[in-house]
Amino acid sequence: MIKVENLHKSFGKLDVLKGINYEVREKEVVCVIGPSGSGKSTFLRCINLLEEITDGAIYIEGVQVNDSKTDINLIRTEVGMVFQQFNLFPHMTVIENITMAPMFIRKLSKSEAENLALELLDKVGLREKAYNYPQQLSGGQQQRVAIARALAMKPKVMLFDEPTSALDPEMVKEVLDVMKQLAHEGMTMVVVTHEMGFAREVADRVVFMDGGYIVEQGQPEKLFDAPQNERTKAFLGKIL
Amino acid sequence: MDFLDMRWDLIWDYREFFINGIWVTIVLTICGYIGGIIFGVFLGLGKTSKRKWLYWPCKLYVDLFRGTPMLVQILIIHLALIPTVFGQSFGFMVSGITALILNSAAYNAEIIRAGIESIDKGQMEAARSLGLTHGQAMRRVILPQAIRRMIPPLGNEFIALLKDSSLVTVIAANDILYAAKIVSGAHFRFWEPYLVAAVLYLLLTFIITKLVAFIERRFSIDYNPRKKREGRVDV
Repeated sequence: MIKVENLHKSFGKLDVLKGINYEVREKEVVCVIGPSGSGKSTFLRCINLLEEITDGAIYIEGVQVNDSKTDINLIRTEVGMVFQQFNLFPHMTVIENITMAPMFIRKLSKSEAENLALELLDKVGLREKAYNYPQQLSGGQQQRVAIARALAMKPKVMLFDEPTSALDPEMVKEVLDVMKQLAHEGMTMVVVTHEMGFAREVADRVVFMDGGYIVEQGQPEKLFDAPQNERTKAFLGKIL
Repeated sequence: MDFLDMRWDLIWDYREFFINGIWVTIVLTICGYIGGIIFGVFLGLGKTSKRKWLYWPCKLYVDLFRGTPMLVQILIIHLALIPTVFGQSFGFMVSGITALILNSAAYNAEIIRAGIESIDKGQMEAARSLGLTHGQAMRRVILPQAIRRMIPPLGNEFIALLKDSSLVTVIAANDILYAAKIVSGAHFRFWEPYLVAAVLYLLLTFIITKLVAFIERRFSIDYNPRKKREGRVDV
């Protein structure tokens, strides 16, 4: 589904990713963990080209993302993204946030888009907030709306960039529950996270990144309970 | 008690000059302002561009017009630029409006640039991640938010331009200040004509201030959640 080949990314002289090779299969949930500065968010942002790729290639369903002939806007409609800071549009109501892209890009009629939006709001448990503005919602609610907004484009893959890191502790669960439900429905997901409990429970595979490399990866039980690499051990030792 | 011996009747005698002056000032300011905003949008967008061939000319233009006195700009445009380019002068109105447009565009460009750049870059990323192009994201997501922030400084710019429009008297434009100069020149009275000119400018800026406040309120309705929620039936 997503194939990453020898991915390099540098910001000026700073090399953030130093050759990433990885493949995400369909309906798979992959959690990316690692210390801050390890390049895990950059890796995620390269997948839908929010960061320009310095070298290497990324393929989504066989289409090379970083090819000048590829219409990146078309690719992005297939790849949903959820951000740490939610990034809801403050000048639109919740439902407008969700219906904007489907109406504008998928050319859905207003009533089709609104029905879809209400359906998705049901799914994240926020139907009654449809006509509120984002700033009237708690952080957890905003993030659930952001998930619904991404899902409204009916993406084939969902990318989550530390979706619970900006939340108060009591709101983390409501967001993780929505993500769990999504995983059970068979959505292909790549999740950068510090929630080890979530990674252990939901992930099919866990990737540990450090210093711009994938240091170790494997099934969660294996990686968490019997890590092979010294750096993985050190990292897990600090946080578990 | 010379000071209190005012000859307001002189002003009345010259009322037509003042009334005409008010119109000239209003036309100069409004034409200059509208043109300045349109041109300023392009300059401002150019200044937010990452493309160097677009950014540098816009930056150079803004620096040039903000870094030189408007009085000098008016004289260059009226006496040098327009006669050189077109071989003749088209009068103070054309020169005056041109100068006001070119000058206010530079200031408006900075306001527009700052407004756009004040929007969190996560907004652009979120819009792009949904598949919108840069232009679409700009129009649907960034500008609607940025415009609200631009309105107060653009209002200030309107008031500043109205006052700066008085500088076109140097190329013999018959605006409000020009009417005052006529009276003072003919009768060697200074208090009455210039006070009247000041009051007329004050009146006009007062009207603009009210107008800007009104527009600000109109645009803030969307931002005020309570207002829009009224009358809505929650689903």
